[in-house]
Amino acid sequence: MRKKITLGTALALALALPAYAEGTLNLYTWSDSIAPELIEKFEAETGIDVNVDGFNSNEDALTKLQAGSSGYDIVTPSQHFVKIMIDEGLLENINAMELAAYAQVDEKWKRQWWDPTNGYSIPLAYGTAGFAVNRDVYEGPIDSWATYFTPPEELKGKVASLSYPDEVVGAAQLFLGVPFCSEDKAEMKKVYDLLMAQKPDVAAYSSDNIENRLGTGEVGAHFWWDGNVLRNRNDGANLAYAMPKEGLVGWLDSFVVPKGAENVEAAKQFIDFMSTEENATIQYNYYAHSSPVKLDLEKAKYTPENAPELFPTVPVEFSKACSPAAQDLVTKVWTDLLQ
Amino acid sequence: MRGFRVWGLVPAWSLMLGTLMVPLIIVAMVSVADRGTYGGFDWAFNLLSYREILFSEDWDGNLAFDPKYLGIIGRTLLLATATTAICMILSLPVAYVIATRSPRMKALLIYLVTLPFWVSMIVRVYAWLIILGNDGIVGRFWHWIGGEGTLLFTPGAMLVGMVYSYIPLMVLPVFAAIEKLDPALLEAGADLYASRWTTARRVILPLTWPGLAAGAVLVFVPALGTVLEPMLLGGGKQMMMGTLIQTQFGGGRNWPFGAAVALVLLAMVVIVLVLNARRAMHRETRA
Repeated sequence: MRKKITLGTALALALALPAYAEGTLNLYTWSDSIAPELIEKFEAETGIDVNVDGFNSNEDALTKLQAGSSGYDIVTPSQHFVKIMIDEGLLENINAMELAAYAQVDEKWKRQWWDPTNGYSIPLAYGTAGFAVNRDVYEGPIDSWATYFTPPEELKGKVASLSYPDEVVGAAQLFLGVPFCSEDKAEMKKVYDLLMAQKPDVAAYSSDNIENRLGTGEVGAHFWWDGNVLRNRNDGANLAYAMPKEGLVGWLDSFVVPKGAENVEAAKQFIDFMSTEENATIQYNYYAHSSPVKLDLEKAKYTPENAPELFPTVPVEFSKACSPAAQDLVTKVWTDLLQ
Repeated sequence: MRGFRVWGLVPAWSLMLGTLMVPLIIVAMVSVADRGTYGGFDWAFNLLSYREILFSEDWDGNLAFDPKYLGIIGRTLLLATATTAICMILSLPVAYVIATRSPRMKALLIYLVTLPFWVSMIVRVYAWLIILGNDGIVGRFWHWIGGEGTLLFTPGAMLVGMVYSYIPLMVLPVFAAIEKLDPALLEAGADLYASRWTTARRVILPLTWPGLAAGAVLVFVPALGTVLEPMLLGGGKQMMMGTLIQTQFGGGRNWPFGAAVALVLLAMVVIVLVLNARRAMHRETRA
């Protein structure tokens, strides 16, 4: 009898093992960007353990990969950082165009400049960076970046920016008509002058805790992303996302696999999993940023009527990968601003 | 036995070497390397990063003396000094009160002082965001007495957070020094007609000085490298050395310069430690 039990246990173990042999999958994504429901579902379906770490800026993600052996199997940087990571040899060529996920991707996001052969990346979400106002604090017009960079009386001292320059400088360039990644010192001096003139009215340069700062009226205007505004508005915050006539800064985040990742197969499996119509819809409803893959439109929550944030009515210009000379000027603007 | 004295220390030495010295040497080597195009670095030897601390290109493209980084270094020193001074002033009476309680009470109070260490630093700083915020206790009180605007994102908020984070490191050594104080010496002072203030100044202060000095080092050194409080409570409007280093390794994509600033920070820490060690040695030879 005893022997039988042992045999039975051994058998059960042996049968159970394949599920666990798949190991673990380590994700490094924008904080709170993947629907927890989908992580659980993926774990249940495949037996793979999933760990999720969050980052709050593309720079953090890039630095982590450059430092080597990050231990991550999937990272989700924005388009200009995908380009840099490919150029720097930091990514694994996963033949993305052969994945099932690729068939789901909207035609307009295929063969883009950041990954022209579609070897490395599958897009996950896209949207815009702009600014939002708390309508309890400020009721005026929000159809121009002027409201943000040269704030009216109600917003003086109540504007907040991000803690890094990437998209903020881009927005200032849109407002001034300076091209992204400009290497012209005189043009970038104008960007610096604009931000410096805005500084006395800025309460904080911080990318953390934005929802509280803006939601409680601690500040009246905050640099932010479309979907985040939407989510917080749906949670009851009295917010409005600006549609500045000068344009919004565009971004598109993609799944990529860092070079030397331990579980490339599981990574591909996860990317395919996230891109099925059903799961992409769950992700869309959770993350509240636009989806570059096919959705189940019956179940998708957001429409131009209930989510104007996601359907910009102004031009959108996507951030580019700047040359070192241009990047140095961006850094100079920022360090001189906060020196 | 003698062999053990040598070999027994091998784990300690290898730990020191592997986790402290080797990384430090790597940082030093990065600081003289060539910067990579998009961050990272290529091994080389140049001192451009160190030159950049003093000289940088202005908007017209000329290389000129630029005090902006010296300003950041100065501000960091000022913040660390202010934090240390406030911690010192506050911890003396606190430590004195604790030291003069019954043993049971003493144990309880010391436990309470160390309690915040059980909570993550980030959580403690966030707690202050809530307390000082418009909906927080202090924030509401501020508006109730007619205060304007928000208390957050000011140098004051930053300093409150700093003092709160680091004061246990000052209270503990000061408490240890006061506890060792011989009450007979205080009585002797009183017998010799010293006023309470004179006793405090001429007896208590000199005898607790080693505790204060140890506390000062424990507070000053981490305060130099602080990132969280200036960012979250101070609003990140002015860089500290910690944020400057972070920027250079991140968005600035200039690792060698970040490493050079990190070494300057380290040099400042070493100077503080050496001064403290010399003072302690001086005291010993005199005693």
